[in-house]
Order: sequence, then structure tokens, then C-alpha cells
Amino acid sequence: MKSPGLAGLQAAFHDHLLGRPSPIAHEVVDGGRIGVDHRLRIYHNAYRVRLLENLRDAYEKTWAYLGDARFETSALAFIADNPSRHRNLRWHGAAFSQWLANRFPQDPDIAELALIDWQLRQAFDGPNATPVQADELAGLSAEDWAGAGFRFTPTLFVTPLRCNSVSIWHALDQEQVPPVAASLPVPTWLLIWRKGWQPHFRTIRAVEHAALMQLHDGASFAGVCAALGEQFSDQEAAGLAAANLRSWLQDELIVELTRPSA
Amino acid sequence: MNPATSVTGKTSPGFGLGLRPVHYADFLREPQAVDWLEIISENYMIPGGKPLAMLDAILERYPVAMHGVSLSVGSTEGLDAAYLADLKALANHVQPLWISDHLCWTGVQGRNSHDLLPLPYSEEALRLVVRHVDQVQNTLGQRILLENVSSYLEYRSSEISEWAFLRQVAEQADCLLLLDVNNIYVSGINHGFDPIAFVNHLPVERVQQIHLAGHSDHGDYIVDTHDHPVAEPVWDLYRHACSRFGEVATMIERDDNIPELDRLIAELDRARAIAAGMRGSGVQKTREAVL
Repeated sequence: MKSPGLAGLQAAFHDHLLGRPSPIAHEVVDGGRIGVDHRLRIYHNAYRVRLLENLRDAYEKTWAYLGDARFETSALAFIADNPSRHRNLRWHGAAFSQWLANRFPQDPDIAELALIDWQLRQAFDGPNATPVQADELAGLSAEDWAGAGFRFTPTLFVTPLRCNSVSIWHALDQEQVPPVAASLPVPTWLLIWRKGWQPHFRTIRAVEHAALMQLHDGASFAGVCAALGEQFSDQEAAGLAAANLRSWLQDELIVELTRPSA
Repeated sequence: MNPATSVTGKTSPGFGLGLRPVHYADFLREPQAVDWLEIISENYMIPGGKPLAMLDAILERYPVAMHGVSLSVGSTEGLDAAYLADLKALANHVQPLWISDHLCWTGVQGRNSHDLLPLPYSEEALRLVVRHVDQVQNTLGQRILLENVSSYLEYRSSEISEWAFLRQVAEQADCLLLLDVNNIYVSGINHGFDPIAFVNHLPVERVQQIHLAGHSDHGDYIVDTHDHPVAEPVWDLYRHACSRFGEVATMIERDDNIPELDRLIAELDRARAIAAGMRGSGVQKTREAVL
């Protein structure tokens, strides 16, 4: 048989790793204490185990939630559907949450839990940024304060939640039986970010979410206060704005004061 | 006694360990009995956070070598320019003792196996690897070290032995070698070659570093798992490597079932003792005569 050349050999070998039909066995020396099929199987198994271990590591709570057998079945199916296209193994699992959403459309809690796992990991080694301190705001003139906007930490993820996946996460974290999955009664979003060296998360409701999104889109804090004033009394609006600002500072979410044009 | 030198003229920095996150606190709490540390490059090719902060703290205390797993220097699809740029940026930050990766390929057609797959030892593969090493060394502005991988199969298209291939790559590409003694032993068992012959055919002046690690014995074959202490036959082969190569920077790789740091340092002390024993056996004169 004519040699396929190095490119053909590598393509055939990789097809074998992926479990696809491959002529690679013809390229392997038959000799020694184990046969060609066994030698090839070592590589095929190692490929799947390596990617499976990587998913277990990145999706620790999802693994605990689904259990060993169900997680492994799902992960191996994901691996079969998604050959890694990344130099760095850490990125291979990036689409696992979306894949789980498609696989279990009746159980959105599974995909939500996976998304929490993934975003916590991304926040862990995401870009560094120095948080703005409260005294920097206190030092602003009234004029500067009126026009100031905020840039939030680059490790911040804001995700709408459908289920009680945060309660499930906490139960799993404490190695307790998780609550039964249930829809959330009111619109809720999850914030995930890194504070210091540790990822954090908390849930927010519509008012805080709207304020965050307005600021993210370039509004000034005064503009956010004005928008609150259209929904609430002046006193309530001022109280809500102050409470939000206080928690953003304590959470180290604000990393830069900006000067929005509008 | 003259310090050993390689083709680069560098002296050996001594005995090191692979840096693993579980040991960050031990290394930062107080000076440990290791001369240098090896990092997995890809673990620090990230935007920020604790791993990079830990790395910076380590760099203040220990010399560091960079060891990669994703260069894929033997892939027919060519080198990844973005990966090389990231590697160079990390090297500029770390200012490592040296940069190493593996003589292997990891994927083709935009797909990655995340495994260190063996090459056929053929003229075509040799030309490809030499060309790629030249590109890498030009990009990084320094020689790299290539490591022999463990393997579980051999190709019909191989034309020469693995050790002859390794030697030709090193000499034609003008790169250095990271000799993994455990990998030689593992492949020797799996393919039935003599590990001593492997060691004896490598160019002494190009071996800049030695890896030691543990493996899993499956009876008919051995798998390079890095989850056990170094096995006795591997220590024997290391003793022989010391007799041939003299003082070469040596480190222990442990990636799974990672024990307390003290146990790894005790294992490293055994490597020190073996190397010191061979130093007194006239090996240094042999090496100097070769060089």
C-alpha cells in the first residue's frame, strides 16, 4: 500500500482518536506484546479520558448534580460532537452549557448550573483591574459627580436566571441534597465576578439590573438616578441608587470612573 | 570541578520540581530545597487572576523554566502564530531559564488531541520539524529544548530509530534536548528497545535538562501517567544518564496523586545523590573529553 505521507498519516490518526473510520491501523507496526488495535485503543481512550477529566474539572458542580454516570454520558457525547479546536485545553468546554441546554430542554437548571461553573472559572483567571474606592468618589466635585459614569470589572458576567440554580449550587457546595429544580417567581439575574483573587456571585432583581445595564451602555450615574426617579418617589429613588452604589463599591465591581458624553 | 556546560555555555542550575498550584503556599511560605521550578506554560497563558499573581511571587524567589505542551512542532498544519505570540509574551514576562516543549504533534486540520502524539522517524518528518523549530527559535529569539515523548505505537514509515531522529533534529535545527528518562524507559518497554542504547546515542552537549517521573505498569505495556514515584528501573537509567551527560539540570514531574511537597523534595534528594555519586566516578572527565 502506498504511504499516505505525513499529512495523511496525521489526519488518519486524528480521525481514529475521534472514533471515525480511519486507515491508521495500516500505518502501525504490528509487533511486541500488544497488538495494533490495543496500541491504537490506548490513544483513543486517552483522548476521551483527557477531555472528560477537563470537563469534570471545569464543571464540578454540574458533575455533582448529574452524578457520575449521567455526567459522563453527557460529557462523552459532547466530546464526540465537539472535537477540540483550541491549543489550550481549558477552552474546550466553553460550549458545554449551551450543549446541555439543547440536550435537556426540559431541565434548564442543568445548563444554568453549568453556566455558573463556567463563568466562575472564567472570572477566576480573567483580566485584572483595580477597583475604585469609595473615597475616590467622595473626592469628586459636585459637577464631576453629576456627570460620572462607571466601568465595571472585566470579569463581570450578568446572566438572566430561569431557575433556582443558585440554591442548587449552594446545596452542592455544602455537599447537601439540592432542592428540587423550580422556576423563579420574579425576573432575576446572576452576577459573577472576581473580588480579590476569589470569584463571587449574587443574584439581582430588575431595578439593579436596569441600572447596571444603563451604566454599562454609557449612561452617567446621574442619568441612572433620573431613570429611577421616573419609577419611584424621589426618596425611594435616592435610597435605591445609594444602596446599589454602596454594594457595587463593596463588591469591587467598579474599576474606573468615566465621563459619559450624555 | 568544572561546572558542566552545554552548547549554550550555560551551567546547570541544579535540581528542580514542576510547580503545581497545590504547592504554591509551600514555595512562598519559606525557601524550599529546590534550585529551580518548571511551569507548564499554558497554565499561565491567561488574562490574569491568582495564577499569574502566584507566578509573579514565585519568580521573585526561584529561577523558572517554561515547559509547554501545545507547540505541536511536528504537525503538518504548521505552527500557530497566535500561540507563539502568547508564548513569547509569557517568556518576556518570566525571563525563563529556558523554554521547552515536545518532539511530537498534537493535532491537524484545526483540531487538537491535547495529547503528545508520536511522529514517524522519517525524512519528511525530520524536514518539517527542523523547519518549524527554526521558525520557533527565530520568533522566540532563543534556542528551545525538545523533549522525547513516551509512545505506545510505532509507524511503518519510520526509517531510523527514535534516538537517531532526536539527534538529527537537535543537530539540524540547532536546538537543545530535554531528556525524559521515564519516557525512554516507557517507550523501551512498549517497543522492545534498549533504553541504554537510546541514552548512548544522544549528543551530550545538547542535553540541557532531564525529566524524571512515575508511570503505571499494565503488565504488557507501561503508561506514562506521572502519578507515581519514580520507578526503580528509571532511577537506574537516570544513573546511566548521569554517567553520560554529567551535571544536567534535573527535575521531577508529578501531575496526579500529587503528594506533600516534602515527599517530592525527598525524591529529588535521591536524584541529587545519584548525580553526586556519578560525579565522583570520573564521568565529568568523560563529559569534558566529549566536549
